[in-house]
Amino acid sequence: MSDFEPDILTFCCNWCSYAGADLAGVSRLQYPTNNRIIRVMCSSRVEPIHILEALKEGTDGILVTGCHIGDCHYIEGNIHTDERMKEIVDALEHLGLKDRLRLEWVSAAEGKKFQETITDFVEKIRALGPNPLKEKAKEE
Amino acid sequence: MVNVGDMLVGYATNEDVRKRGASGGLVTAVLAAALEKGLVENVVVMKHINEFEAVPIITDDVDEVLASTGSLHSVPVNLAKYAMGRKVAMPAKPCDAQAVIEQAKRGMIDLDNTYVVGLNCGGSMHPVTTKKMLVEMYDIDPEDVVGEEIEKGKLIFKTKNGEEMAIAIDELEEAGFGRRESCRYCTLKIPVNADLACGNWGVIGDKAGSATFCQVMNDKGVKLLDNAIEAGRIEVEPASDKAIAIRAKVNDVMVNLGNTLEKEIFPEIPDEERMQYYMEPMADCIDCGACKEVCPVCACGEDSKCTMFHSLVDNYKMSMYHMVRLLHLSDSCIACGQCSDVCPSDIPITLLQSSFAIPSQRKREYTPGMNVDDVPPFFEVILK
Ligand SMILES: Cc1cc2nc3c(=O)[nH]c(=O)nc-3n(C[C@H](O)[C@H](O)[C@H](O)COP(=O)(O)OP(=O)(O)OC[C@H]3O[C@@H](n4cnc5c(N)ncnc54)[C@H](O)[C@@H]3O)c2cc1C
Ligand code: SF4
Ligand code: SF4
Ligand code: SF4
Ligand code: FES
Repeated sequence: MSDFEPDILTFCCNWCSYAGADLAGVSRLQYPTNNRIIRVMCSSRVEPIHILEALKEGTDGILVTGCHIGDCHYIEGNIHTDERMKEIVDALEHLGLKDRLRLEWVSAAEGKKFQETITDFVEKIRALGPNPLKEKAKEE
Repeated sequence: MVNVGDMLVGYATNEDVRKRGASGGLVTAVLAAALEKGLVENVVVMKHINEFEAVPIITDDVDEVLASTGSLHSVPVNLAKYAMGRKVAMPAKPCDAQAVIEQAKRGMIDLDNTYVVGLNCGGSMHPVTTKKMLVEMYDIDPEDVVGEEIEKGKLIFKTKNGEEMAIAIDELEEAGFGRRESCRYCTLKIPVNADLACGNWGVIGDKAGSATFCQVMNDKGVKLLDNAIEAGRIEVEPASDKAIAIRAKVNDVMVNLGNTLEKEIFPEIPDEERMQYYMEPMADCIDCGACKEVCPVCACGEDSKCTMFHSLVDNYKMSMYHMVRLLHLSDSCIACGQCSDVCPSDIPITLLQSSFAIPSQRKREYTPGMNVDDVPPFFEVILK
């Protein structure tokens, strides 16, 4: 387990959190390299099914990020995100996968928060171990 | 004139219908009158083939309705989808009525045009299980069965040569037969979500066995009954206090039993074993899609997410198909048992779906299929 390097997928919205990630980059803030970013126009583009699909394909942890409530560039997109995530959190709870998903609001100015969030999440997932669905996929 | 909330005992005025009826033929007479008087354009009923086989039909022929008397305990189909897009009256077990309401929430059924004559339901059996049970427990050739009845907790079969044999349902269930698993933990025994709630509980005295107890649930129920009375097809009288009390008491007993069995049926699953709990049985799936086809609350049709994100090749592990279905049905599954009934791989798919859905629904204090105005928690985002 010690050499386990988690695969993390981060959804960033185009307007705030992707800019936050960018800022982390240009500010040369270091964070673990386990992370892959998918840019979406708004956090509300992320459907529960995208998260299920990612988990099924063996992703160890999924981070959904967007603008702070009130700052969404589509006015109330992230309020939808917040509601939607409740459904998927419920579902992941039944599957014993709840801790593999996190929702976080990151503004364009919060490069530091982006760095800290990723670092912390990677460590949490590392402690949790590999996604059981990935193990299953490898066995067969 | 009857009123909402009335508790009545009634029967079909046509002697033949009354005699053939499961209790008093009232349900058949009400359905026939609705068709005759133009309240509806079609009626959904069960066309009997034998005790274990019947097909739902959508008919505008009064004779076909009149011929459909009797309760088939070994034909556990769900009738909701037959009501779609029609002006229709239909009999409905509580789970049929639940599915009708869920479909109405999804815009697939217009409740104003759908008259639901509810039937109390103590449970139904899978035909294959019933046939096996006849051979192993009753020593009866299924081909010889001409009638079946439930009385005082016993399941009675009548044969061609006039014999009758009764065995307690508890005993049958202990031996692994009897009601389908989902019916054992079902706690909606009186269809208070239908327009009328009909059954034989509470029919006592000289009427026992030849009348139907009927509770009027709403305005459509009033219309159905008034219409049938006007057409001269039924006669009703108020139920006595004693009858009402007995019905309520039997219902309490059944609901308590359901609650007890629920605890026995659903295992406590430790967090780390949850994934395995779902994945192991679902690995047997041969991807036939029958469980989706038959699900009475699914309103997606051909363009569905469970199939859209699913590829046949990923079926060797837990498929997207099942993951999406678990998610999608978490607020609408009514544990009707249809999916387990049809699964060719004998996967206890209803048990898995309801293991997933019931905790979710309870957490959000939501029960599907009861009130059309209760918005499913994951239905749409409601902006506060
Ligand atoms: C599976 C099942 C279990 C039942 N359990 C109880 C019980 O525990 N306690 C109780 O009080 N009453 C129960 N009933 C209701 C009872 O058997 C009678 O249906 C009711 O009293 C109405 O009697 P009736 O003579 O007016 O009906 P009828 O005039 O004989 O009409 C019966 C109607 O039911 C329809 N029907 C028959 N089989 C089914 C089916 N499997 N699913 C949907 N519709 C069907 C027929 O098409 C027909 O329209 C049950 C009914 C069913 C179908
Ligand atoms: S699930 Fe409930 S309502 Fe449906 S057939 Fe079984 S006992 Fe009857
Ligand atoms: S998932 Fe199965 S038990 Fe649930 S409503 Fe659909 S068919 Fe019925
Ligand atoms: S009915 Fe059974 S075999 Fe067919 S798709 Fe559903 S779970 Fe798989
Ligand atoms: S645009 Fe950032 S959350 Fe909607």
